[in-house]
Amino acid sequence: MKREKSRKYRLLRVLRAASQTAFFGLFLTLFIGAHYTGQDYIGSTVQRFFHFDPLLALVTFVSARLVYALFIYSLITIAATLILGRVFCGWVCPLGAVHQFSSFAFKKTKFLRPRREEKASLAWKYYILIIVLAGAVLGLDLAGYLDPFSFLTRSFAVSIFPGLAYALSGLKAGFYALGLTAAGRSISQLLGNWTLNETFLQGFAVGFFFLGAVALNAWKERFWCRYLCPTGAFLGLLSRWNILKLRIDDEKCIKCGLCTQHCETQAHPYPNEKWRSGECIYCETCAAICPTAAIGFPVKATPEKLTNISDVNLSRRKVLLTTFLGLVAVPFFRLTPSQKRADLKLIRPPGALPEPKFLAKCVKCGQCMRACPTNGLQPALTQAGPEGIWTPMLVPKIGYCEYYCSLCTQVCPTGAIQKQTIEEKNKLKIGSAWVNKNRCLPYALGKPCIVCEEHCPVSPKAIKFVEVEAKLPDGKTVVQKAPVIDLELCTGCGICENKCPVVDDPAVYVTSVGETRSEKNRLLLQVIGEPK
Amino acid sequence: MNRRDFLRDLAVGGAVLNWAPRVLAGQAAAPGKGPDLAAVEGESPYLITKEAVAALGGMKRFVGKGDKIIIKPNVGWDRTPEMAACTNPDVVKALVELAHEAGAKKVTVIDNTTNQAKRCYVRSGILDAARAAGADMPYVDETRVKKTALKGEWLKEWDILIDVLEADKIINVPIAKHHSLCRLTMGMKNWLGALGGARNQLHQNLDRAMVDLAAYFKPSLTVLDAYRILVRNGPQGGRVSDTKLVKTVVAGIDPVAVDSMGATFFDIRPQELLYLRLAQERGLGKFELEKVRVEKRKI
Repeated sequence: MKREKSRKYRLLRVLRAASQTAFFGLFLTLFIGAHYTGQDYIGSTVQRFFHFDPLLALVTFVSARLVYALFIYSLITIAATLILGRVFCGWVCPLGAVHQFSSFAFKKTKFLRPRREEKASLAWKYYILIIVLAGAVLGLDLAGYLDPFSFLTRSFAVSIFPGLAYALSGLKAGFYALGLTAAGRSISQLLGNWTLNETFLQGFAVGFFFLGAVALNAWKERFWCRYLCPTGAFLGLLSRWNILKLRIDDEKCIKCGLCTQHCETQAHPYPNEKWRSGECIYCETCAAICPTAAIGFPVKATPEKLTNISDVNLSRRKVLLTTFLGLVAVPFFRLTPSQKRADLKLIRPPGALPEPKFLAKCVKCGQCMRACPTNGLQPALTQAGPEGIWTPMLVPKIGYCEYYCSLCTQVCPTGAIQKQTIEEKNKLKIGSAWVNKNRCLPYALGKPCIVCEEHCPVSPKAIKFVEVEAKLPDGKTVVQKAPVIDLELCTGCGICENKCPVVDDPAVYVTSVGETRSEKNRLLLQVIGEPK
Repeated sequence: MNRRDFLRDLAVGGAVLNWAPRVLAGQAAAPGKGPDLAAVEGESPYLITKEAVAALGGMKRFVGKGDKIIIKPNVGWDRTPEMAACTNPDVVKALVELAHEAGAKKVTVIDNTTNQAKRCYVRSGILDAARAAGADMPYVDETRVKKTALKGEWLKEWDILIDVLEADKIINVPIAKHHSLCRLTMGMKNWLGALGGARNQLHQNLDRAMVDLAAYFKPSLTVLDAYRILVRNGPQGGRVSDTKLVKTVVAGIDPVAVDSMGATFFDIRPQELLYLRLAQERGLGKFELEKVRVEKRKI
């Protein structure tokens, strides 16, 4: 038997790697592009990827009961999967590229030694998918936690790029210390130009999950794609009727088992009848490494048996049980007090939908946090209840809402934050400012300050000053200008809290009450007919 | 206030407000290198800036060949020029060009902004203007500061931007604006943008901080942009109706006199401003404009 690998499939494998690199590069470019570029309106950035994601399209549609027109692009992905199989996972998905590359690196360094035949169950991702879909029926949007675009964007926005920015700052300090001023300066200008945010609550946790997901590739190749990814599972279910079916030429096959051992997604190429078309991502590895060029993917238009698409034995009982689990899980997410009363710290970005709709649409991708020029948008932990983990909230102590900026509303992939022009945005209240007279310098210490008044961006100012008498420790009385808030004018932007010199617990601070989007969390009554 | 002061103020205020060049022309014609103060009124911020510097004797009086120049405008806020929260970009552009023409080796425009830096740099129009004129305009790097002994009466030391410290000459280019705490912010207040650190703490004794800073920073030239001034809701305004067109640029070598003339645009007598009185006491300049050689022009 002549031993010669297939040139065609070796070439296809190179093309596949090139395609992954290109899409990952596109993803990175769009991701970095989601910031203040010098234009008030930045157009479409990385959210375009999300619109091709059929899982997000379906879950958002079901959970929020809203049609979001841009998700029409996901039909392209569905059509491509129906015809060609899971090429999306193998050739397009940028998170897939991350896992593939790290698996490759782990293999080359011998951290990962694939078994001859992997027996681990591939069913988990289908169960995850069923739970996500069942939850969506009751309005719970869990897709964002494991959807590949959400996962990657969030990890990059909240953890990887902040880490990179931190590292660059360290490098910059090193350059300055060595007297390489020009090099240090170019780093500082890059950080300023790209507005790379460096500080995130939850940054460690989000990064931990991301690096954990990458590290799992040292155990099983493309661990995420095989066992966890609900989007992959969804596409797998659509992969019955595709026209590219693996075929092994029995005459050439020497039964070496390399194809099954090195299959990235445990699709089991050998023997031919055990091949799982729903798991195959057309990475072309098996066909390229086959020592006798026995493997090919000829066009064949007969559907696979449902049991054969992934061989995970999705029995009716298991499907019913996991559906039931997904449904009964929902009440447990709703036991939180945030269902009854708004959390005072839950200051949502301007344009955010009312809370129940917001939670049903937000996919926790963190794009808004990437785009925020002041670093003020942060992932929530407990403030919005368990289904609101990693949804965005403004933390004015870290960064405030820039008055003439509406970037967060422009980058949201699902419309959980509705697109706003800057004029529209400035009519929205996201919260209300309060003065803590026990800590405010003029009130409590009799010292001049009114930094908050200076920074209040609305005109006329929502922070006015009045002259107040304050007692000094020696008993003398002084008169100082002290801030008072006009809540009719306050937008809740939080710059007062951010710039307050009482840094640890600012003497002027914003809470969510009075936010335009909520009917429950309101404050000043506008009685109908009464002039303002 | 005694009667003599009153009459003096009346004379100065009247002279300035009514644009009576003859009152001051005699002083302007006095011999010497040139006047201490030039105020030029006109339609184009760019042209009146150039004219004001020319009236002082030209940029060569302030910038030497091969100098590293810092131009310090007010770019504090994310506001477009018609809001009069930041220095007019054409004023900055004119000065960058003049500095280059006078032989400056490198011109850097910089300000430690209050709102997000890139937004302020871009939307004020100053980044484009400065770059078009060939200046460098880097974002402030909060780590590139040096704790510097100011030897002030209140401020003993503070972080100052190294870019500013390394310059041979500084040109201060403030805009004239209303400010709630110190009433008006002009040249002396503009130095807060050359600092790092927690500048908001300086509000606890702002007038004295301004005087200490003005005593430390010795600008070769101060050019006050009063083309469009901010008369209320300062120091950032937010509506065009908060501004007033004065269409004047004041250039001078005496920073106290420049601010004093700026005050007159708001109908405020200079001696009403505590920091100007303190600055004169400290010998930083004169707020009594009649003691200053002023040249006024209208183009």
